[in-house]
Amino acid sequence: MSWWEFWKPKAERLDFIRDFLEINAQPITGIRSIDQLNFTVIDTETSGLDPAKDSILSFGGVKIFERKIQIQSSVEWYPTAKNSGGKTAPIHGLVGIQDQIPLEDFLKKLLPYLANSILVGHHVGFDLELLEKELKPFGIERLPNAVLDTGNLAIRLEHGPHADRSRINLESYSLDALCARYGIETDDRHTAAGDAFLTAQLLLKLLKKCHAKGIQDFKNLMKNY
Amino acid sequence: MSNVIVNRVAEFLKRFPPFSFLEKADLDLVAKAVEIQYLEKGETLFHQGDVARPHFFILKEGIIHLVESSSKGDEIHEVCDEGDVFGVLALLGKRPYLLTSKVVENCLIYAIPVAIFEKILEENSRVALFFAAGFAAGQVVVRQDLSEGQRARGAFKSASGDHSLLIFSDQSQINFSEKVLKCGPDTTIQHAAKLMADAQVSSIVICDENDFPQGILTDKDLRSRVLAPGISTKNPVWAVMTSPVITRKKQDGFSNLYLTMIRHRLHHLVLTVDGSEQSPVAGILSDHDVFLSMGNSPAVLIHGLMNTLEVSDMRIIRDRAEQMLLYYLENEISMEFVASVMTEINDVIISQALEIVQQKLLTDYPEMAKVRFCFLSMGSEGREEQLLRTDLDNAILYQDVPEKLKAEASEYFQKLGEGIVEVLLACGFDPCPGKIMASNPEWVQPLSVWKNYFSEWILHPSPEALMKVSIFFDYRAVVGSKALAEELTEHIYQEIAEKQIFLNFLAQNALKNPPPLGFFKDFVVEKSGENRDQFDIKSRAMLPLTDLARLLVLSHRIVGINNTFKRFEKLSELEPGNSELFSQAGKAYEILMRMRALEGLQTRSNGRYIQPKSLGKLQRQLLKNAFSPISELQEIVNIRFQLDYFRR
Repeated sequence: MSWWEFWKPKAERLDFIRDFLEINAQPITGIRSIDQLNFTVIDTETSGLDPAKDSILSFGGVKIFERKIQIQSSVEWYPTAKNSGGKTAPIHGLVGIQDQIPLEDFLKKLLPYLANSILVGHHVGFDLELLEKELKPFGIERLPNAVLDTGNLAIRLEHGPHADRSRINLESYSLDALCARYGIETDDRHTAAGDAFLTAQLLLKLLKKCHAKGIQDFKNLMKNY
Repeated sequence: MSNVIVNRVAEFLKRFPPFSFLEKADLDLVAKAVEIQYLEKGETLFHQGDVARPHFFILKEGIIHLVESSSKGDEIHEVCDEGDVFGVLALLGKRPYLLTSKVVENCLIYAIPVAIFEKILEENSRVALFFAAGFAAGQVVVRQDLSEGQRARGAFKSASGDHSLLIFSDQSQINFSEKVLKCGPDTTIQHAAKLMADAQVSSIVICDENDFPQGILTDKDLRSRVLAPGISTKNPVWAVMTSPVITRKKQDGFSNLYLTMIRHRLHHLVLTVDGSEQSPVAGILSDHDVFLSMGNSPAVLIHGLMNTLEVSDMRIIRDRAEQMLLYYLENEISMEFVASVMTEINDVIISQALEIVQQKLLTDYPEMAKVRFCFLSMGSEGREEQLLRTDLDNAILYQDVPEKLKAEASEYFQKLGEGIVEVLLACGFDPCPGKIMASNPEWVQPLSVWKNYFSEWILHPSPEALMKVSIFFDYRAVVGSKALAEELTEHIYQEIAEKQIFLNFLAQNALKNPPPLGFFKDFVVEKSGENRDQFDIKSRAMLPLTDLARLLVLSHRIVGINNTFKRFEKLSELEPGNSELFSQAGKAYEILMRMRALEGLQTRSNGRYIQPKSLGKLQRQLLKNAFSPISELQEIVNIRFQLDYFRR
């Protein structure tokens, strides 16, 4: 199934949306080697845990190409949210952020940034759900990109492809636990960019593990069991 | 503005010299440019003798040993752990690495681009001192005297080697043997072998009574044509020799002789008095002679390519070819030679890629081994003028197969194309933005479909069709059955002959390119976008010439010349009246190719955009002069194809 089947025109088609969909129209070749894949590792901080009500307070991202984290590509954006100042904001220390940008400007930066890369995140489903909520008025209900979850990838690598999730202690697959296990220093936790950076380092290490297990191309990397 | 991630990197760097000497602004600049890499125990970051990367390294975690390997075994020079800076040779003189970096414990490595640091080195004396005093690990060269540096260069002869220079500046330097071992066609194989053994040479030329070469017998022939099939050595040599022989004369000049050897994959080239095979033998040039005199050369690279099916090795060799290219361009080696050599290297990469993918696929599709096909290169690679690894344009053409095989053939060739394109991408070529690649099912088709494509474009020359024509008409069969491609060419000429008006459309299209110079004879630069204030040398100067050459060549119904400057050469022969203009246009194109390639190598881009302000006065004038044939040619085309009338 391709993206356009999910896509129903809802709002006026804007140029940046069209460019984004166009660049994603071509799927990534299955036999492309992992060395040649573009990953964008993302994380968001939100005003709460309910995708329906809460919104994105900050977005952090960094890209990986040729198995190298490209610091130059790192970004940290603070979109103005409708209901910021919710409960979690003080915890994350996000009150009184200066460089806030209007939501639409944020999306206009976001889509060209994501382009047709593979989106990576830890429990990335939640982040995507919130991004998609903001993109919906612009006509994108579901991001067309390939998605890789570092949590699921770690489980697959450590327990094999057919692991029974109900028997796995999922707590040991939190970002904190994985970082501890893979020897990644955790500071800057709970800032979007900080978490994205940790996740990117985790991905580098997981990709090495993939290589050792013979997972070397896009098709195998994305295989769903 | 720096973000959390950049800050994290900067904080780490700040803890260690020389980064601790940096101001905040510089530190941020450096941190922003870092690339992070993860290597596991047992891997190697760089090898002794590798060309210096554009990065040097600082270890974030893990342990790396810097090791010198020699005949006596490996010797550890330096043990690096967190915060150690190494691989700085690149920073200091662009020499090859003297040591191998072995990962002993899983490593997170920060790579810092040399380019960013060079400026800092100039401005910050403490940082400069850090490197000059050799505090960074593995920095053998600066501590040693000059002889050490020379040793380093001797270890790896590729980086702008001094060796090839000798060849081109003084052609008498090539040593080939004038004494050639010869025998008659009726000599027995055994006797011929004995003659070779006595003379300790690897080949013998078989001559008739006039001393004219009839054939050649080499060590390899003895192995594969005599010993392996078990032919009696009492047979005469003419039965097993390679015949006819390709011959040249020694006055042809080194680059010509050498090119012949590369093209025909010859190990031995027979030289005769007048260059034809109807003339007495005068000498023999072996690839060994060439190797000895060159050190590093196209032959070495091609030889290396042909002996590997490892994609990563192919990538390294292609990178090395780029260094050789830079050397050629800077030394004004003739563009014809440079383009031929680079085309040959690209072609070998394609045929090796085919080999790799075929090996993988044929077990699943045994029937497909018999189906004839060819891999077409189009665009600049098709025109044999792709110097840099710019866009790939290619396609696959296969013979029409019976109905029952159709689905299988389509699937097989689709996979074949996809695989080849992947290998090429991994070798550093850029994908075609218009998806004109052999991985696109639309361009992997049997002959009949291809014929229909071209008929359709010729019959309905819409703007889009004309755009395709400009890419597809320059196709060239790189590997596979050339006869198939010829059949297609034949079809195209027939179609054009029936519909002459197509050429008028093509002519109209050729005049559409934007002009290079504005009203005040100044460069027309891009007005917006990321290339603002830059000059688009490709679409404003090269494309018009390519389009015009293609059009005129088609109108003369010339087949088999794809190269733009060769097309102009041919045109100047065919139209003596415009001979001067055409040869100027050909030369202009060579200049533009050289400029673009140099720009691309210097800025590590595709060289398409040039900053007019960065050019010297002389270069600007040279570039402007190169434009003058364009408008004259356009005028000729305008009149010849009656375009003023046609536009209405």
